[in-house]
Amino acid sequence: MTSFLLRRLGLSVVLLFLISIISFFIVTLTPGSPYPWGELNPKISAEVKANFRKKFHLDRPLPEQYALIMRDLFTGDLRSIKDDRPVMSRIMERLPATLALNFTAILISLSFGTLLGVYAARNAGQWQDMAGSFVAFLFIALPSFWISYLLAIVLVKGFHVPILGTHSYGIEFPNGFAAGLDTLWHLLLPATVLAIGGIAAQSRYLRATMIGTLREDYIRTARSKGLAEETVLYKHALRNSVRPLVTGIGMLLPALISGAVIVENIFAYPGMGRLGYEAVLERDYPTLVALNFVVAALVLLGNLLSDLLYAAVDPRVRLE
Amino acid sequence: MRTLRLFLYGIPAALLVLLAVAFVNASFLSVSKKNEMSIGTLGEPSTLNPIQQADSASSQVGGLIFNGLIKYNQNLEIVGDLATKWELSQETTFQFATEEEAAKALSVLNMKRSNSEGRGFVSLPSSMFSFSILNIKVDGKKLVILFAQPGLTESESILGTLNSAGLPPLQVSSPSSNQENGSDLFFKAEPIIRFTLRDGVRWHDGAPFTSADVAFTYQAIMNEKVASPRRSDFDLVDSVETPDPRTVVVRYKKPFSPALLSWMTAILPEHLLGKLDPAKWPEVYNRAPVGTGPFKFGEWKTNEFIRLHKNADYFLGSPWLDSVVFRVLPDPLTLQLAFQTRQVDFWNVDPWAVKSLQGDPRFDLFSAPGNAYNYIGWNLRRPMFQDLKVRQALAQAVNVPQMIKYILYGHGVQSTGIFTPQMWFFDPLVKPLAYDPEAAKRLLDKAGWKPGPDGIRVKDGKRFSFTLLANNGNEVRRDIATLVQDDLKQVGIEVKVEIYEWAVLLKRFVNKGEFDAIVLGWGLGYDFDQYGIWHSSQTHPEELNFVGFSDPEVDHLLSDLRQEYARPEIIRLAAQLQKTIYAQQPYLFLFVPEGTEVMWKGAYRLRHPGPDGTWIDEPIRMTKAGWSYDMEWFYRPEFAPKEQRQKAK
Repeated sequence: MTSFLLRRLGLSVVLLFLISIISFFIVTLTPGSPYPWGELNPKISAEVKANFRKKFHLDRPLPEQYALIMRDLFTGDLRSIKDDRPVMSRIMERLPATLALNFTAILISLSFGTLLGVYAARNAGQWQDMAGSFVAFLFIALPSFWISYLLAIVLVKGFHVPILGTHSYGIEFPNGFAAGLDTLWHLLLPATVLAIGGIAAQSRYLRATMIGTLREDYIRTARSKGLAEETVLYKHALRNSVRPLVTGIGMLLPALISGAVIVENIFAYPGMGRLGYEAVLERDYPTLVALNFVVAALVLLGNLLSDLLYAAVDPRVRLE
Repeated sequence: MRTLRLFLYGIPAALLVLLAVAFVNASFLSVSKKNEMSIGTLGEPSTLNPIQQADSASSQVGGLIFNGLIKYNQNLEIVGDLATKWELSQETTFQFATEEEAAKALSVLNMKRSNSEGRGFVSLPSSMFSFSILNIKVDGKKLVILFAQPGLTESESILGTLNSAGLPPLQVSSPSSNQENGSDLFFKAEPIIRFTLRDGVRWHDGAPFTSADVAFTYQAIMNEKVASPRRSDFDLVDSVETPDPRTVVVRYKKPFSPALLSWMTAILPEHLLGKLDPAKWPEVYNRAPVGTGPFKFGEWKTNEFIRLHKNADYFLGSPWLDSVVFRVLPDPLTLQLAFQTRQVDFWNVDPWAVKSLQGDPRFDLFSAPGNAYNYIGWNLRRPMFQDLKVRQALAQAVNVPQMIKYILYGHGVQSTGIFTPQMWFFDPLVKPLAYDPEAAKRLLDKAGWKPGPDGIRVKDGKRFSFTLLANNGNEVRRDIATLVQDDLKQVGIEVKVEIYEWAVLLKRFVNKGEFDAIVLGWGLGYDFDQYGIWHSSQTHPEELNFVGFSDPEVDHLLSDLRQEYARPEIIRLAAQLQKTIYAQQPYLFLFVPEGTEVMWKGAYRLRHPGPDGTWIDEPIRMTKAGWSYDMEWFYRPEFAPKEQRQKAK
């Protein structure tokens, strides 16, 4: 186990660096350069521009810029081109909100996805299964921004309910409980939109695996032993079908972080997705490198956790 | 297993219940309101340190936290902010070879001066200026004259007098490529601005405001480590002195009339930033600024909102609102939805939506032409655009009124040049070229471009075909390009449209001056100095005269404007500049879009200090400086201020 972990960590470190190199060069080689106050600004003299470039090492050759950025990243001194603040502060500000959003979205998609998948597998081939498939494909097909806008219009025009940001404005909350509920509302809405695709995907995977599992001999044995259908389904079949759910978690994490850009923008939710999107538009190289690093680290961590969970769940799997 | 099922059914059930409860909670919350104004912004301020930023989101917030020495009033006239008085004067120094010559020059001028009762004298027959000399003295070999007004004309006329009296002064500077006016080789003209600062102003942390803060702000702007984008505004400052805590004296190296406007920049606190290394500013100050303005900084949750609280000790009196919150809402559609749930109080409406809102009794609309114009820039280095007749033909072939009707839904005016109608130096007499495709065809024929076999005009074997560039993501410019392509096809010109991402457009085409034609726009400030855009010296890579325009008369006008301080003269020169450039058609000047702001009717009113210590209470109104002028004095009728609580300061 320890040797597995060590090897895995070593591999992850190497991967992280490769990822950082690739992402750095992709971003810097893209045409365009960072310029926080507008290139076509008559008030900015050439001297100011040159000074600015020197400050952020933009006049050095690319490999040297990469080395400088990585050095600053590890000494904690990496500053964003946009507002000259340490990049890690900017990321850490958004991290709690992003984690809350993604965690809630994963929770929603796993729970509803499992329910839907079990329901479909249980009634395989009958109208309930068809209905479940229809719902699942609908969720996959509908783009998240469209659903967001629709939801926003219905809630705002129809019910006059505020939906943007992390809490409602201009309002005195009668007590802490109401305030807490308000924050929960603002968290659940974007999380739900994000989770819709995940629900569909999870339910499809689970349904397929469970249908296969339900054909196994031991299931037939359990039924012929006279066990209740519920016990058969949950104690035996579902437990043996969780493999796709576990791999699903590993795949959901990166999907959620990237899909969040659109939903975060629409609901004005302050997450890391928006940070990355704005950094790309502004060519904020330090932020982008640091962000890619953090996101890659999170993804690799997610994969590792998924693998560990996998081993925990399936005794046949041995980690070496 | 039971736990598994509990888990499996329980979590979704719990989530659904929570969602329902939260929804109910949220829908009942819109009942009780705070005395707070909510403003939605699409972009987030990068920093709240005014000298380190130049984006509009930052200046919107900074405008409530800070003051400059002077500011514009609602009619775009300069009035005092932190300064109560500002006196302009100029010290001109002539150098002579010997002290005797200097003394003789002094007596010559004194004689002339006493002859015309100290009112000054004119030696240039073409212009009649009256000016006053405040003081003349001799300092060794130098003759120093103090004028009541900056500018070169008076000094030039003195030079003329000295020359004709047989006392030519020495040349004091050598001609350089930047020399704008030959005569100031023979004297040094240093404008001086003397500011008298307001008494009793305190910073938000209670410390007193003094002239040391002004001097510090200047030094900070010039400090390389601060990397201020406003630095070039202060390049011509020679020195900033503070003879006492209420006085600031600024000396300039040469006359430069836009210099006064640069003192609208926010003043920073010396007692907080003076000893602090600029590298620490982003962490310590830029996210929690301290100013002198009507609102104090409260909190900033990144990417969410910035909240300001009222400054009860503001030198003009406490604002009526308790707080102002700027909400960052990056998506335009949800900004609109936020407005409809009263989560934000104002909304900048797109032109297509204005009509549906105009008749609606629930809303107040404020419309005015913006401070920007759209244009097509012709690369004047390309041979096909070098003939003026061709450029005029192009302007007359494009149907601009139709563009305004369909792209802007009628909310715009045709542009007649480099200034927009809101400006005090705009010349309303310049007439736009009329849409006349037949006239365009005749001009093209005259220029030698005859229709070819495929309908496209040909001259010397070359087809009249060019590429028009526009930037991605801007639907207005994309629509402009489409309409232009069609209009020009009707007169036999082939246009290929290419759309690139903004950064690529700049780096690959504009900054290198390698393009045929491009659809762009200029967002302008309120000052008349457009040297950077039109002077022939600004045509190098990365400079703003990227079309390569060069006209000696325009060059002179641009330099003269920079040295002219008298308002009537500025109006005259600016009108000349606008007319001349428009006639040359370096751009196809398209239109000035009109911006419309919506507010829920009666949601706010305005009570602001009047001219003689009274308070004026009126509904929000549109002014030359915009609808949001005096925003610090907005109040909500349900939190109406108590009657006349104090005389306005």
